[in-house]
Amino acid sequence: MHSLNNGKFSFSNDTVKQDLQILIQALDSSISGIILTDNQQPDNPIIYCNRAFERITGYQRQEIIGHNCRFLQKEDRNQKERFMLSQAVKDGAECVVEMRNYQKNGTLFWNELYMSPIKDEHGNVLFFIGVQNDITRRKKAEQELLHQQDIMESQIRERTKSLKDSEDYLSSIVQTVRESLVVLNPDFKVLSVNDHFLKTFKVSREETEGKLLYELGNGQWDIPKLKELLENILPTNNPVEEFEVEHDFPHIGKKLMLLNAHRIELEGQYKDRILIAIEDITDRREIERRKDDFLSIASHELKTPLTTIKGYVQMMQRLLPANASDKYKDILRKTGIYVERLNNLIAELLDMSRIQTGNIELHKETFDFDSAVKEAVENIQSATKTHQINLQGSATNSYTGDESHIVQVINNLLSNAIKYAPESGEVLVYLSRVSNFLKVSVSDKGMGIKMEDQKKIFERFYRVGEIQQRFPGMGIGLYVCDQIIKNHGGTLWVESEPGRGATFNFTLPLDERTSDEQ
Amino acid sequence: MSNKTILICDDDEGILDMLELVLEETGYRIIPVQNSLHIYDEIEKQHPDLILLDLWMPVLSGDQILKNLRQNPETKDLPVIIISASREGERIANDAGASCFLAKPFDLDTLVNRVDEMIAA
Repeated sequence: MHSLNNGKFSFSNDTVKQDLQILIQALDSSISGIILTDNQQPDNPIIYCNRAFERITGYQRQEIIGHNCRFLQKEDRNQKERFMLSQAVKDGAECVVEMRNYQKNGTLFWNELYMSPIKDEHGNVLFFIGVQNDITRRKKAEQELLHQQDIMESQIRERTKSLKDSEDYLSSIVQTVRESLVVLNPDFKVLSVNDHFLKTFKVSREETEGKLLYELGNGQWDIPKLKELLENILPTNNPVEEFEVEHDFPHIGKKLMLLNAHRIELEGQYKDRILIAIEDITDRREIERRKDDFLSIASHELKTPLTTIKGYVQMMQRLLPANASDKYKDILRKTGIYVERLNNLIAELLDMSRIQTGNIELHKETFDFDSAVKEAVENIQSATKTHQINLQGSATNSYTGDESHIVQVINNLLSNAIKYAPESGEVLVYLSRVSNFLKVSVSDKGMGIKMEDQKKIFERFYRVGEIQQRFPGMGIGLYVCDQIIKNHGGTLWVESEPGRGATFNFTLPLDERTSDEQ
Repeated sequence: MSNKTILICDDDEGILDMLELVLEETGYRIIPVQNSLHIYDEIEKQHPDLILLDLWMPVLSGDQILKNLRQNPETKDLPVIIISASREGERIANDAGASCFLAKPFDLDTLVNRVDEMIAA
């Protein structure tokens, strides 16, 4: 070991043995494994190892000395670091590698090996110093980290894929709906439209997306009502539904559109974007109009011969011979009743059809409400000999609404009260004012209505079971009444108990603003 | 009363017949007109005291006739009762200047009363 003379330690002949002892103790105190191999002998055998090397490898000194380092790799011979090492040995160069080694009991440990040559003055490599550190824990942590990264990456890949899948899925839904969809940014620039929009308005994606809505197709979307919706209504009333816009487009003609608009209020990248769904109801409205026309014509045509029949029946009653039998008179009277019923059915048919399609036009005018009710009561009273109708209270002499519709409701409620309370003989009509509403109550002392039937009687075609046989009709009278009152911004309801009569009430708002909303 | 003349114009023969029967019973002279195109001639020739006029008639409708009558100084005050089964009948009648409106099917007593009132006025 005379080569150590060239090292930093200076040995004096007197103390060389002691100094060497100290040096070996120092080496044994190291936590790094340290070995020396003799490059001058075949296969570079280990000629020195410190305690730490024994501890790291689990071998004892006598099992180590004389071996080549490769015994630490056991059968794991194909690590690329081995070739780096043998190359460094050949070149007499330094090198650092991290490789898998195995303890005596077979336990894997990661060895960070620093190898450096010791040369003589001619540059011949005499020895190699190997310094080893057990980095298993670090390696394990690194590997775990790597594994976690792999897991995370694969999770991200999966999530990205599922996000893309659901994006594709959503977009295929958006593209399939039979309604036009437009997405605008807060400055009304078109971010995207669906296929149905392109088809309906006969435009291409290129000339639509990225353009300002109002500038699309030479300004054909610069529609005052749409502007009103986007700029004045939507900012304060979000979302807006069923907003009707009619516009004559240069190439595709007049379109009647029903719009739903929704401004995104969620914080984030989509905030303040505007979604617009456009339903083209041009054709539907036209079909509804034709149906209404058809029913108007049909009812007109049906009523024409009915007019003649009614006239002749009344003539027959007038020209009744003095000696006509009671049976004959009764038949004539009944004929009159059924002619009247037929007339009502025709009128109901038309009313129902209009209400169903929401095409009831209100002709609003200010009229004397109390007088109108009084007149309606008198008319019904003059045709009713079985019941006494009492009118009490007062509501207003100035109400703005559709008089003929309101009178229709009064008539309907009165005739129901008479029809369904045949034995009672008395009907009360009570007018009053409650806060800013007027209230009309029509009470009979008839059979009453069961709780479970009270809601249903306002449905179209609903007729209370046992009533069905005794009082035929189409069962749409109350439905029509309910719709009319709703159209005027009011409420129609019933209060009743079986056997104790029924009171039908309706209220109408007297405040102009409220009544105008509907 | 019996010297008064009523012109009835309706494209439906049944109604025309029935009204003729009803009103002759009350003593009026009746001029039935089924084709509304002939109504102006009949008015000019016979100078009726009252007209019962239908609305929906082919070619020349009741409201067109009524508007014309109202523009003509000789007929602008002639009493005209519109009879119609149209839902919009009353509004159309009032807009065109009808003296009175009766929805079909009407009550005979009501009709006769109105006719009597109009002729007496």
